[in-house]
Amino acid sequence: MQISVVTPHGELYNEDIDYVVVSSKMNGEFAIMKDHIPIISSIDVGYVKMVRGDKQLYTVIINGVVEHQNNIINVIAQEAHVGLSKDSALDHLNTVREERIKENKRRNVDFARAERELKKNVKDAKAGKI
Amino acid sequence: MATMRDIRSRINATKKTSQITKAMHMVSASKLKKAEKAITGFRPLMKRLRALIDNVLDQEDVHHPMLVDRDVDRVCYIIVSSDRGLAGPYNSSIFKAVTAHIESTHKNTDEFVVAPIGYKAMSYAKRMKYPLLTESSIHVRDDVQFIDFKEVSERFMKSFLRGEIDKIVVFYNHFINTITQQVEQLQLLPVTNGFEDLQDEPVPGMNLIYNYEPSPKTIINHLVPMYVENTLYGIILDAKASEHAARMTAMKNATDNAEDIIKTLQLHYNRARQAAITMELTDIIGGANAVN
Repeated sequence: MQISVVTPHGELYNEDIDYVVVSSKMNGEFAIMKDHIPIISSIDVGYVKMVRGDKQLYTVIINGVVEHQNNIINVIAQEAHVGLSKDSALDHLNTVREERIKENKRRNVDFARAERELKKNVKDAKAGKI
Repeated sequence: MATMRDIRSRINATKKTSQITKAMHMVSASKLKKAEKAITGFRPLMKRLRALIDNVLDQEDVHHPMLVDRDVDRVCYIIVSSDRGLAGPYNSSIFKAVTAHIESTHKNTDEFVVAPIGYKAMSYAKRMKYPLLTESSIHVRDDVQFIDFKEVSERFMKSFLRGEIDKIVVFYNHFINTITQQVEQLQLLPVTNGFEDLQDEPVPGMNLIYNYEPSPKTIINHLVPMYVENTLYGIILDAKASEHAARMTAMKNATDNAEDIIKTLQLHYNRARQAAITMELTDIIGGANAVN
C-alpha cells in the first residue's frame, strides 16, 4: 500500500506502508488495511498512524481528508506534521502555529507603528518643502 | 550651465540609487522564484480537493449553504494588494479595476463592503471612503503560509453564513509570466464555478463509488470550508508571485533608466570639464600675449 500526504506547501510524505490507522476527534478511530474498499473520511483534529513492519510514524493533522482506493491512500491536510509519536508531533505543530500567529501580530503592530512614526518624522522634517 | 561639482554629485547620487534598485530587483527575483515554487507545490492539493468535492456532490441529498446562490443584498469585495509600494503598476491597476467595477454596478454604498488585504488596499479603501468589513488591516508577508490566512477566511465564511454578505468577489493580480500580470476577479462565495469545467485532466479513478465515513453530509460540511480556505490561499500565492514579478520589472526599468541618466550626466560632465580647460587655456594664452 502507498500513502501520500499533501499539504498546501507541497507533498509532505510519500511511502510504502503496511496499514494505517486514522483517528480524529469527530469520527473516532478506524484502520485501513490492504484491499480495503474505497473510502473517504474527514479529520478535524487527529492523526494518521502509518505502520510498516515494526516501525510506525504519526502524521498529526489539523483539518484534513483521507481518501483510499486501489491500495493508494491520499491524505489532504491543511496543516500536518510527521513525528515519531503523536504527542510530540502535535506539540510541534501547535508551537509552530502559535509562534507564527504571535509573530504575525507583532509584525502588524510594528508595521503600523513604523508607518506612524515615518509620517510624523516626514511632517516634522518638512520633507517636500525646500 | 551646472558646475562640474554639481554634476559629479548628481552622478554619485544616481549611481547610489541604481545600486539600491538593482539590489531590490535581485531580491524580488529570488522571492519570485520561491513564490513560483510555492504555487507548484500547492496545485496538486487543489486538484485533489476539487475531485473529492465533485465526487461527494454526486451523492444524493448532499448540499451545503456555501454552494447555494442567494439573492444578493450586499457584496463583499476582497482587494488583494501589497504592503509596500515600488511595484510598478501592481496596486494601481487593481484599484482602477475595482473602482470601475464598483462604479458601474453599485449606486450607493449600502450595497457593498470592501475587505482589503495589504496596507495599500487598506489606505486606498479609506481614501475612497468605501465601507469596510473590518477595521483592522490584513498584513501579507512575503513568505505566505497557510495559517496566516486561516483566521481571515474563517471570518469571511462566518459573515457569509450569518447573512451579512451574500457574495464575495476577490480582485487580484493573476501571474501570467514575469512581464505580464492581469487583474482578475473571482467569486469566492458562494462556490459556484461548476467543478467539472476545469481544463486540467481528471484525476484517475475518482469516479469510483466510495464508502463515506461517517456520512457524505459530514464530509461535505468539512470539505467546502476547506476548499474556500484553500482557494483564498491559492489566490494570495498567485497575487504574491505577481507582486514580486511586478516589482522585479519595475526595479529593472529603474536601474536601466538610472544608467541612461548616468550616461547623459557623464557626457555633460566631460563637456563641462573640457569647457573649464579651454577657459583656463584662453586665460593663460591671453595673459602670455598681454605680457609680450
